[in-house]
Amino acid sequence: MIMLRNLCKLYPPDTVALDNCTVTIAPGEFVMVIGPSGSGKSTLLRCVNRLISPTSGQVIVNGLDVTAATREQLRQARRGIGMIFQQFNLIKRASVIDNVLAGRLGYAHSIASLFGYFGSDDQAIAQKSLQQVNLLELANRRADTLSGGQQQRVAIARALAQHPKVILADEPTASLDPNLTRVIMDILKEVNSSQGITLMVSQHLIDVALTYGSRLIGLQSGRIVFDGSPLQLTETIIQQIYGEM
Amino acid sequence: MIKQRRTGLRVICFLVVVALYAKFLWDTEVSILKLKRGLPWMADFMVRMFPPDFSVLGSALKGALQTLEIAVVGTTLAALLALPLGFLSARNIAAPGVFYGVRGVLNLFRSIDTMVYALFFVAAVGLGPFPGVLAVVVYTAMSLAKLCSEAIEGIDTGPVEAITATGATRLQILRYGVIPQIIPLFISYILYRLETNIRAAAILGFVGAGGIGFYIQTYLRMMNYRAAACVLLILVIMVMAVDFASSQIRKALI
Repeated sequence: MIMLRNLCKLYPPDTVALDNCTVTIAPGEFVMVIGPSGSGKSTLLRCVNRLISPTSGQVIVNGLDVTAATREQLRQARRGIGMIFQQFNLIKRASVIDNVLAGRLGYAHSIASLFGYFGSDDQAIAQKSLQQVNLLELANRRADTLSGGQQQRVAIARALAQHPKVILADEPTASLDPNLTRVIMDILKEVNSSQGITLMVSQHLIDVALTYGSRLIGLQSGRIVFDGSPLQLTETIIQQIYGEM
Repeated sequence: MIKQRRTGLRVICFLVVVALYAKFLWDTEVSILKLKRGLPWMADFMVRMFPPDFSVLGSALKGALQTLEIAVVGTTLAALLALPLGFLSARNIAAPGVFYGVRGVLNLFRSIDTMVYALFFVAAVGLGPFPGVLAVVVYTAMSLAKLCSEAIEGIDTGPVEAITATGATRLQILRYGVIPQIIPLFISYILYRLETNIRAAAILGFVGAGGIGFYIQTYLRMMNYRAAACVLLILVIMVMAVDFASSQIRKALI
Protein backbone atom coordinates (compact mmCIF):
# COMPACT_ATOMS: atom_id res chain seq x y z
CA MET A 1 0.00 0.00 0.00
CA ILE A 2 1.21 3.46 -0.90
CA MET A 3 -0.07 6.52 0.92
CA LEU A 4 0.91 10.01 -0.11
CA ARG A 5 -0.31 12.70 2.26
CA ASN A 6 -0.24 16.42 1.47
CA LEU A 7 2.90 15.98 -0.58
CA CYS A 8 4.63 19.21 -1.61
CA LYS A 9 7.89 19.66 -3.44
CA LEU A 10 9.34 23.11 -4.01
CA TYR A 11 12.44 23.94 -5.97
CA PRO A 12 13.77 27.31 -4.89
CA PRO A 13 13.27 30.03 -5.79
CA ASP A 14 9.73 29.60 -7.08
CA THR A 15 9.07 26.25 -8.79
CA VAL A 16 6.26 24.20 -7.32
CA ALA A 17 6.76 20.65 -8.59
CA LEU A 18 4.14 19.07 -6.33
CA ASP A 19 1.32 20.94 -4.67
CA ASN A 20 -0.47 19.18 -1.82
CA CYS A 21 -0.89 15.75 -3.42
CA THR A 22 -2.83 13.15 -1.47
CA VAL A 23 -3.34 9.65 -2.87
CA THR A 24 -3.84 6.18 -1.45
CA ILE A 25 -3.01 3.22 -3.65
CA ALA A 26 -4.13 -0.28 -2.67
CA PRO A 27 -1.95 -3.37 -3.23
CA GLY A 28 -2.29 -4.77 -6.75
CA GLU A 29 -3.55 -1.58 -8.38
CA PHE A 30 -2.25 -0.54 -11.80
CA VAL A 31 -2.11 3.23 -11.59
CA MET A 32 -1.28 5.36 -14.59
CA VAL A 33 -0.08 8.89 -13.84
CA ILE A 34 -0.87 11.23 -16.70
CA GLY A 35 -0.27 14.89 -17.36
CA PRO A 36 1.71 17.21 -19.59
CA SER A 37 5.50 17.55 -19.46
CA GLY A 38 6.58 19.32 -16.31
CA SER A 39 3.35 18.57 -14.45
CA GLY A 40 5.22 16.68 -11.72
CA LYS A 41 4.80 13.03 -12.79
CA SER A 42 8.47 12.15 -12.35
CA THR A 43 8.71 14.02 -9.07
CA LEU A 44 5.64 12.23 -7.72
CA LEU A 45 7.08 8.80 -8.57
CA ARG A 46 10.51 9.67 -7.16
CA CYS A 47 8.98 10.77 -3.87
CA VAL A 48 7.65 7.24 -3.36
CA ASN A 49 11.15 5.73 -3.03
CA ARG A 50 12.62 9.07 -1.96
CA LEU A 51 14.99 9.48 -4.85
CA ILE A 52 13.57 12.95 -4.29
CA SER A 53 12.74 14.07 -0.76
CA PRO A 54 9.50 16.02 -0.57
CA THR A 55 9.57 19.48 0.98
CA SER A 56 6.63 18.57 3.16
CA GLY A 57 4.06 15.84 3.50
CA GLN A 58 4.27 12.15 4.17
CA VAL A 59 4.95 9.06 2.08
CA ILE A 60 4.06 5.69 3.55
CA VAL A 61 4.96 2.55 1.62
CA ASN A 62 4.10 -0.91 2.97
CA GLY A 63 3.57 0.57 6.42
CA LEU A 64 6.87 2.44 6.60
CA ASP A 65 7.02 6.22 6.70
CA VAL A 66 9.60 6.69 3.96
CA THR A 67 9.86 10.41 4.62
CA ALA A 68 10.94 9.82 8.23
CA ALA A 69 13.00 6.65 7.63
CA THR A 70 16.62 6.27 8.69
CA ARG A 71 19.18 5.53 5.99
CA GLU A 72 19.01 1.80 6.72
CA GLN A 73 15.20 1.72 6.81
CA LEU A 74 15.08 3.62 3.54
CA ARG A 75 17.45 1.13 1.94
CA GLN A 76 15.24 -1.75 3.03
CA ALA A 77 12.15 0.05 1.80
CA ARG A 78 13.78 0.65 -1.58
CA ARG A 79 14.54 -3.06 -1.95
CA GLY A 80 10.82 -3.66 -2.10
CA ILE A 81 10.22 -0.94 -4.69
CA GLY A 82 11.47 -1.66 -8.21
CA MET A 83 11.95 1.23 -10.59
CA ILE A 84 12.27 1.54 -14.33
CA PHE A 85 13.13 4.63 -16.31
CA GLN A 86 12.61 6.25 -19.68
CA GLN A 87 16.33 5.98 -20.47
CA PHE A 88 16.57 2.39 -19.12
CA ASN A 89 19.58 3.43 -16.96
CA LEU A 90 21.46 0.18 -17.35
CA ILE A 91 25.16 -0.14 -16.65
CA LYS A 92 26.08 0.04 -20.31
CA ARG A 93 29.41 -1.77 -20.25
CA ALA A 94 28.22 -4.58 -18.00
CA SER A 95 26.59 -7.78 -19.22
CA VAL A 96 22.83 -8.25 -19.21
CA ILE A 97 22.95 -10.72 -16.32
CA ASP A 98 25.19 -8.42 -14.25
CA ASN A 99 22.66 -5.65 -14.77
CA VAL A 100 19.88 -7.89 -13.50
CA LEU A 101 22.04 -8.96 -10.55
CA ALA A 102 22.25 -5.29 -9.56
CA GLY A 103 18.60 -5.74 -8.55
CA ARG A 104 19.87 -8.03 -5.79
CA LEU A 105 22.28 -5.45 -4.32
CA GLY A 106 19.91 -4.62 -1.48
CA TYR A 107 19.92 -8.28 -0.39
CA ALA A 108 23.49 -9.30 -1.27
CA HIS A 109 26.41 -9.52 1.13
CA SER A 110 27.66 -5.98 1.00
CA ILE A 111 31.42 -6.62 0.90
CA ALA A 112 31.23 -9.61 -1.46
CA SER A 113 29.04 -7.59 -3.82
CA LEU A 114 31.71 -4.86 -4.01
CA PHE A 115 33.95 -7.46 -5.64
CA GLY A 116 31.20 -8.46 -8.04
CA TYR A 117 30.35 -11.64 -6.16
CA PHE A 118 26.74 -12.71 -5.67
CA GLY A 119 25.50 -15.85 -3.92
CA SER A 120 23.96 -18.73 -5.84
CA ASP A 121 20.42 -17.85 -4.75
CA ASP A 122 20.87 -14.30 -6.02
CA GLN A 123 22.19 -15.73 -9.30
CA ALA A 124 19.17 -18.02 -9.57
CA ILE A 125 16.75 -15.17 -8.90
CA ALA A 126 18.46 -13.01 -11.53
CA GLN A 127 18.22 -15.79 -14.10
CA LYS A 128 14.58 -16.37 -13.33
CA SER A 129 13.83 -12.65 -13.68
CA LEU A 130 15.59 -12.57 -17.02
CA GLN A 131 13.56 -15.56 -18.12
CA GLN A 132 10.37 -13.69 -17.21
CA VAL A 133 11.17 -11.03 -19.79
CA ASN A 134 12.32 -13.69 -22.29
CA LEU A 135 15.91 -12.56 -22.55
CA LEU A 136 17.78 -15.44 -20.94
CA GLU A 137 19.55 -16.22 -24.22
CA LEU A 138 21.15 -12.74 -24.20
CA ALA A 139 22.39 -13.04 -20.61
CA ASN A 140 26.07 -12.64 -21.47
CA ARG A 141 25.74 -9.86 -24.04
CA ARG A 142 26.95 -6.38 -23.14
CA ALA A 143 23.91 -4.28 -22.23
CA ASP A 144 24.66 -1.47 -24.69
CA THR A 145 24.62 -3.89 -27.63
CA LEU A 146 20.90 -4.52 -27.11
CA SER A 147 18.06 -2.65 -28.80
CA GLY A 148 16.03 -0.11 -26.82
CA GLY A 149 13.13 -2.49 -26.28
CA GLN A 150 15.45 -5.23 -25.09
CA GLN A 151 17.25 -2.84 -22.75
CA GLN A 152 13.98 -1.85 -21.16
CA ARG A 153 13.14 -5.52 -20.67
CA VAL A 154 16.51 -5.97 -18.92
CA ALA A 155 15.60 -3.01 -16.71
CA ILE A 156 12.27 -4.68 -15.87
CA ALA A 157 14.14 -7.90 -15.02
CA ARG A 158 16.41 -5.89 -12.72
CA ALA A 159 13.34 -4.50 -10.95
CA LEU A 160 11.75 -7.97 -10.73
CA ALA A 161 14.97 -9.38 -9.22
CA GLN A 162 14.26 -7.15 -6.22
CA HIS A 163 11.11 -9.22 -5.55
CA PRO A 164 9.28 -5.92 -5.22
CA LYS A 165 5.81 -5.27 -3.90
CA VAL A 166 5.70 -2.08 -5.93
CA ILE A 167 7.17 -1.10 -9.29
CA LEU A 168 7.50 2.55 -10.27
CA ALA A 169 7.88 3.21 -13.97
CA ASP A 170 8.79 6.70 -15.13
CA GLU A 171 7.74 7.09 -18.77
CA PRO A 172 8.97 3.55 -19.51
CA THR A 173 7.97 3.69 -23.17
CA ALA A 174 8.70 7.30 -24.10
CA SER A 175 11.88 6.29 -25.96
CA LEU A 176 10.20 3.40 -27.79
CA ASP A 177 8.00 3.00 -30.87
CA PRO A 178 4.31 2.02 -30.63
CA ASN A 179 4.96 -1.72 -31.08
CA LEU A 180 7.58 -1.83 -28.37
CA THR A 181 5.37 0.35 -26.21
CA ARG A 182 2.77 -2.41 -26.36
CA VAL A 183 5.38 -5.11 -25.60
CA ILE A 184 6.67 -3.28 -22.54
CA MET A 185 3.22 -2.34 -21.25
CA ASP A 186 2.05 -5.96 -21.73
CA ILE A 187 4.95 -7.19 -19.60
CA LEU A 188 4.08 -4.68 -16.88
CA LYS A 189 0.41 -5.67 -17.03
CA GLU A 190 1.36 -9.35 -16.77
CA VAL A 191 3.61 -8.66 -13.78
CA ASN A 192 0.74 -6.78 -12.17
CA SER A 193 -1.95 -9.40 -12.73
CA SER A 194 0.06 -12.60 -12.16
CA GLN A 195 2.26 -11.49 -9.26
CA GLY A 196 0.03 -8.84 -7.73
CA ILE A 197 2.79 -6.23 -7.85
CA THR A 198 1.41 -2.71 -7.46
CA LEU A 199 2.29 -0.53 -10.45
CA MET A 200 2.61 3.20 -10.66
CA VAL A 201 3.42 4.21 -14.21
CA SER A 202 3.73 7.69 -15.63
CA GLN A 203 2.67 7.87 -19.24
CA HIS A 204 2.20 10.81 -21.54
CA LEU A 205 0.13 8.87 -24.09
CA ILE A 206 -3.52 9.00 -23.02
CA ASP A 207 -4.66 6.03 -25.09
CA VAL A 208 -1.95 3.79 -23.62
CA ALA A 209 -2.88 4.97 -20.13
CA LEU A 210 -6.56 4.22 -20.81
CA THR A 211 -5.81 0.73 -22.17
CA TYR A 212 -3.62 -0.47 -19.33
CA GLY A 213 -4.48 1.47 -16.19
CA SER A 214 -7.04 0.28 -13.65
CA ARG A 215 -6.88 3.77 -12.24
CA LEU A 216 -5.71 7.10 -13.61
CA ILE A 217 -4.22 10.02 -11.74
CA GLY A 218 -4.11 13.28 -13.65
CA LEU A 219 -1.54 15.89 -12.72
CA GLN A 220 -1.45 19.48 -13.77
CA SER A 221 1.11 21.97 -12.48
CA GLY A 222 1.88 19.66 -9.55
CA ARG A 223 -1.76 19.28 -8.47
CA ILE A 224 -3.87 16.16 -8.72
CA VAL A 225 -6.79 17.25 -10.88
CA PHE A 226 -8.20 13.81 -11.61
CA ASP A 227 -8.24 10.52 -9.75
CA GLY A 228 -10.52 7.79 -10.99
CA SER A 229 -11.13 4.88 -13.33
CA PRO A 230 -10.47 5.12 -17.08
CA LEU A 231 -14.25 5.17 -17.61
CA GLN A 232 -14.62 8.36 -15.61
CA LEU A 233 -12.06 10.22 -17.68
CA THR A 234 -14.09 12.42 -19.99
CA GLU A 235 -13.00 14.59 -22.89
CA THR A 236 -13.54 17.68 -20.73
CA ILE A 237 -11.26 16.38 -18.00
CA ILE A 238 -8.57 15.50 -20.53
CA GLN A 239 -8.76 19.04 -21.82
CA GLN A 240 -8.55 20.32 -18.29
CA ILE A 241 -5.39 18.28 -17.65
CA TYR A 242 -3.62 19.08 -20.86
CA GLY A 243 -4.98 22.57 -21.39
CA GLU A 244 -6.39 23.82 -24.66
CA MET A 245 -5.46 21.58 -27.59
CA MET B 1 20.52 45.30 -28.71
CA ILE B 2 23.93 44.70 -30.23
CA LYS B 3 26.86 45.86 -28.15
CA GLN B 4 28.85 48.64 -29.69
CA ARG B 5 32.40 47.75 -30.55
CA ARG B 6 34.83 49.68 -28.50
CA THR B 7 37.61 49.98 -31.05
CA GLY B 8 39.74 52.31 -28.96
CA LEU B 9 39.87 49.88 -26.04
CA ARG B 10 40.74 47.02 -28.37
CA VAL B 11 43.67 48.90 -29.86
CA ILE B 12 45.00 49.74 -26.39
CA CYS B 13 44.69 46.09 -25.25
CA PHE B 14 46.49 44.94 -28.38
CA LEU B 15 49.34 47.42 -27.87
CA VAL B 16 49.73 46.44 -24.22
CA VAL B 17 49.95 42.74 -25.11
CA VAL B 18 52.49 43.43 -27.86
CA ALA B 19 54.60 45.57 -25.51
CA LEU B 20 54.54 42.93 -22.77
CA TYR B 21 55.52 40.23 -25.20
CA ALA B 22 58.43 42.32 -26.47
CA LYS B 23 59.62 42.73 -22.89
CA PHE B 24 59.44 38.96 -22.33
CA LEU B 25 61.50 38.34 -25.47
CA TRP B 26 64.07 40.91 -24.30
CA ASP B 27 64.21 39.47 -20.75
CA THR B 28 64.74 35.92 -21.98
CA GLU B 29 67.53 37.09 -24.29
CA VAL B 30 65.96 35.42 -27.28
CA SER B 31 68.30 36.01 -30.17
CA ILE B 32 68.44 34.44 -33.61
CA LEU B 33 72.01 35.67 -33.95
CA LYS B 34 73.13 33.78 -30.87
CA LEU B 35 71.35 30.69 -32.16
CA LYS B 36 73.16 31.02 -35.46
CA ARG B 37 76.52 31.38 -33.72
CA GLY B 38 75.74 28.25 -31.70
CA LEU B 39 74.99 26.08 -34.71
CA PRO B 40 78.55 24.87 -35.30
CA TRP B 41 78.82 23.85 -31.66
CA MET B 42 75.65 21.83 -31.96
CA ALA B 43 76.96 20.17 -35.06
CA ASP B 44 80.21 19.44 -33.26
CA PHE B 45 78.29 17.92 -30.36
CA MET B 46 76.35 15.69 -32.71
CA VAL B 47 79.45 14.60 -34.56
CA ARG B 48 81.15 13.66 -31.33
CA MET B 49 78.21 11.41 -30.48
CA PHE B 50 78.85 9.27 -33.50
CA PRO B 51 79.15 6.43 -33.69
CA PRO B 52 77.42 5.54 -30.42
CA ASP B 53 79.57 3.44 -28.11
CA PHE B 54 77.70 0.21 -27.56
CA SER B 55 80.16 -1.06 -24.99
CA VAL B 56 77.98 0.73 -22.40
CA LEU B 57 74.84 -1.02 -23.62
CA GLY B 58 74.67 -3.01 -20.39
CA SER B 59 74.46 0.11 -18.21
CA ALA B 60 72.05 1.74 -20.64
CA LEU B 61 69.68 -1.22 -20.49
CA LYS B 62 70.00 -1.45 -16.72
CA GLY B 63 69.17 2.26 -16.40
CA ALA B 64 66.30 1.99 -18.86
CA LEU B 65 64.80 -0.93 -16.97
CA GLN B 66 65.01 0.97 -13.71
CA THR B 67 63.37 4.01 -15.29
CA LEU B 68 60.56 1.81 -16.56
CA GLU B 69 60.19 0.26 -13.12
CA ILE B 70 60.07 3.64 -11.39
CA ALA B 71 57.43 4.85 -13.83
CA VAL B 72 55.28 1.70 -13.60
CA VAL B 73 55.44 1.35 -9.81
CA GLY B 74 54.97 5.08 -9.28
CA THR B 75 52.04 5.32 -11.69
CA THR B 76 50.17 2.29 -10.34
CA LEU B 77 50.55 3.32 -6.70
CA ALA B 78 49.43 6.81 -7.69
CA ALA B 79 46.38 5.40 -9.46
CA LEU B 80 45.37 3.48 -6.31
CA LEU B 81 45.57 6.71 -4.31
CA ALA B 82 43.91 8.78 -7.02
CA LEU B 83 40.66 6.81 -7.14
CA PRO B 84 39.53 7.56 -3.55
CA LEU B 85 40.93 11.09 -3.78
CA GLY B 86 38.97 11.55 -6.99
CA PHE B 87 35.74 10.61 -5.25
CA LEU B 88 36.50 12.92 -2.35
CA SER B 89 37.09 15.83 -4.72
CA ALA B 90 34.07 15.27 -6.97
CA ARG B 91 31.42 17.93 -6.51
CA ASN B 92 28.53 15.52 -7.07
CA ILE B 93 29.77 12.88 -4.58
CA ALA B 94 31.66 14.51 -1.72
CA ALA B 95 30.23 16.77 0.95
CA PRO B 96 31.06 20.44 0.18
CA GLY B 97 33.53 20.73 3.08
CA VAL B 98 35.45 17.63 1.99
CA PHE B 99 35.28 18.67 -1.65
CA TYR B 100 36.83 22.10 -1.12
CA GLY B 101 39.45 20.74 1.28
CA VAL B 102 40.64 17.91 -0.95
CA ARG B 103 40.47 20.05 -4.12
CA GLY B 104 42.63 22.66 -2.42
CA VAL B 105 45.24 20.10 -1.37
CA LEU B 106 45.28 18.60 -4.86
CA ASN B 107 45.80 21.96 -6.53
CA LEU B 108 48.54 22.84 -4.06
CA PHE B 109 50.56 19.66 -4.64
CA ARG B 110 49.90 19.65 -8.37
CA SER B 111 51.55 23.04 -8.81
CA ILE B 112 54.95 21.48 -8.08
CA ASP B 113 56.57 19.19 -10.62
CA THR B 114 57.90 15.63 -10.16
CA MET B 115 61.51 16.83 -10.38
CA VAL B 116 61.14 19.13 -7.38
CA TYR B 117 59.59 16.33 -5.33
CA ALA B 118 62.55 14.17 -6.33
CA LEU B 119 64.98 16.69 -4.81
CA PHE B 120 62.90 16.68 -1.66
CA PHE B 121 62.65 12.89 -1.38
CA VAL B 122 66.34 12.31 -2.17
CA ALA B 123 67.10 14.53 0.79
CA ALA B 124 64.57 12.65 2.90
CA VAL B 125 65.19 8.96 2.08
CA GLY B 126 68.57 9.02 0.33
CA LEU B 127 69.78 8.32 -3.21
CA GLY B 128 68.33 5.58 -5.40
CA PRO B 129 65.11 4.66 -7.23
CA PHE B 130 62.87 4.86 -4.14
CA PRO B 131 62.82 8.69 -3.90
CA GLY B 132 62.12 8.64 -7.63
CA VAL B 133 59.08 6.42 -7.08
CA LEU B 134 57.86 8.70 -4.28
CA ALA B 135 58.23 11.77 -6.47
CA VAL B 136 56.28 10.13 -9.29
CA VAL B 137 53.57 8.95 -6.86
CA VAL B 138 52.94 12.37 -5.33
CA TYR B 139 52.63 14.37 -8.52
CA THR B 140 50.81 11.63 -10.47
CA ALA B 141 48.33 10.87 -7.67
CA MET B 142 47.35 14.53 -7.51
CA SER B 143 46.96 14.99 -11.24
CA LEU B 144 45.12 11.67 -11.73
CA ALA B 145 42.81 12.51 -8.82
CA LYS B 146 41.90 15.78 -10.52
CA LEU B 147 41.15 14.04 -13.82
CA CYS B 148 39.27 11.30 -11.98
CA SER B 149 37.08 13.80 -10.15
CA GLU B 150 36.27 15.53 -13.42
CA ALA B 151 35.31 12.19 -14.95
CA ILE B 152 33.07 11.50 -11.95
CA GLU B 153 31.44 14.90 -12.27
CA GLY B 154 30.66 14.14 -15.91
CA ILE B 155 28.84 10.84 -15.40
CA ASP B 156 25.31 10.06 -16.46
CA THR B 157 23.18 10.23 -13.29
CA GLY B 158 20.64 7.72 -14.66
CA PRO B 159 22.47 4.52 -13.65
CA VAL B 160 23.26 6.07 -10.25
CA GLU B 161 19.55 6.69 -9.71
CA ALA B 162 18.72 3.17 -10.85
CA ILE B 163 21.24 1.55 -8.51
CA THR B 164 20.11 3.75 -5.62
CA ALA B 165 16.54 2.63 -6.25
CA THR B 166 17.47 -1.05 -5.76
CA GLY B 167 18.25 -0.38 -2.09
CA ALA B 168 22.01 -0.46 -2.60
CA THR B 169 24.39 0.94 0.03
CA ARG B 170 26.44 4.03 -0.73
CA LEU B 171 29.54 1.96 -1.51
CA GLN B 172 27.51 -0.30 -3.78
CA ILE B 173 26.15 2.76 -5.57
CA LEU B 174 29.71 3.98 -6.22
CA ARG B 175 30.83 0.51 -7.29
CA TYR B 176 27.91 -0.20 -9.65
CA GLY B 177 26.56 3.22 -10.60
CA VAL B 178 29.71 5.34 -10.86
CA ILE B 179 32.85 3.25 -11.35
CA PRO B 180 31.72 1.38 -14.50
CA GLN B 181 31.14 4.76 -16.13
CA ILE B 182 34.55 6.22 -15.31
CA ILE B 183 36.79 3.16 -15.57
CA PRO B 184 37.59 3.32 -19.32
CA LEU B 185 38.40 7.01 -19.05
CA PHE B 186 40.42 6.49 -15.87
CA ILE B 187 42.51 3.71 -17.39
CA SER B 188 43.26 5.82 -20.42
CA TYR B 189 44.37 8.68 -18.10
CA ILE B 190 46.62 6.24 -16.24
CA LEU B 191 48.23 5.18 -19.51
CA TYR B 192 48.81 8.81 -20.52
CA ARG B 193 50.42 9.45 -17.15
CA LEU B 194 52.58 6.34 -17.58
CA GLU B 195 53.87 7.75 -20.87
CA THR B 196 54.74 11.11 -19.36
CA ASN B 197 56.18 9.46 -16.25
CA ILE B 198 58.63 7.43 -18.36
CA ARG B 199 59.97 10.77 -19.64
CA ALA B 200 59.97 12.28 -16.15
CA ALA B 201 61.68 9.23 -14.64
CA ALA B 202 64.34 9.41 -17.37
CA ILE B 203 65.69 12.63 -15.90
CA LEU B 204 65.12 11.79 -12.21
CA GLY B 205 68.65 10.35 -12.24
CA PHE B 206 70.02 13.89 -12.68
CA VAL B 207 69.21 14.55 -9.03
CA GLY B 208 70.14 11.08 -7.84
CA ALA B 209 66.67 9.56 -7.87
CA GLY B 210 67.55 6.51 -9.97
CA GLY B 211 67.07 5.39 -13.54
CA ILE B 212 68.64 6.03 -16.91
CA GLY B 213 69.19 9.74 -16.21
CA PHE B 214 72.12 8.88 -13.99
CA TYR B 215 74.02 7.40 -16.96
CA ILE B 216 73.09 10.24 -19.32
CA GLN B 217 74.38 12.78 -16.85
CA THR B 218 77.53 10.82 -15.95
CA TYR B 219 78.62 10.27 -19.56
CA LEU B 220 77.88 13.87 -20.52
CA ARG B 221 79.95 15.11 -17.58
CA MET B 222 82.78 12.81 -18.53
CA MET B 223 82.37 14.19 -22.05
CA ASN B 224 82.00 10.63 -23.23
CA TYR B 225 79.47 11.67 -25.86
CA ARG B 226 79.53 8.37 -27.72
CA ALA B 227 78.50 6.50 -24.58
CA ALA B 228 75.83 9.14 -23.87
CA ALA B 229 74.53 8.63 -27.41
CA CYS B 230 74.08 4.92 -26.77
CA VAL B 231 72.12 5.61 -23.58
CA LEU B 232 69.95 8.23 -25.31
CA LEU B 233 69.24 5.81 -28.13
CA ILE B 234 68.03 3.18 -25.68
CA LEU B 235 65.88 5.84 -23.97
CA VAL B 236 64.28 6.85 -27.26
CA ILE B 237 63.52 3.24 -28.15
CA MET B 238 62.01 2.58 -24.73
CA VAL B 239 59.83 5.71 -24.79
CA MET B 240 58.56 4.88 -28.26
CA ALA B 241 57.85 1.27 -27.27
CA VAL B 242 55.87 2.34 -24.20
CA ASP B 243 53.94 4.98 -26.19
CA PHE B 244 53.07 2.39 -28.81
CA ALA B 245 51.99 -0.23 -26.28
CA SER B 246 49.91 2.26 -24.35
CA SER B 247 48.14 3.60 -27.43
CA GLN B 248 47.30 0.02 -28.47
CA ILE B 249 45.81 -0.68 -25.05
CA ARG B 250 43.85 2.56 -25.16
CA LYS B 251 42.44 1.70 -28.57
CA ALA B 252 41.35 -1.71 -27.32
CA LEU B 253 39.51 -0.04 -24.44
CA ILE B 254 37.28 2.16 -26.57
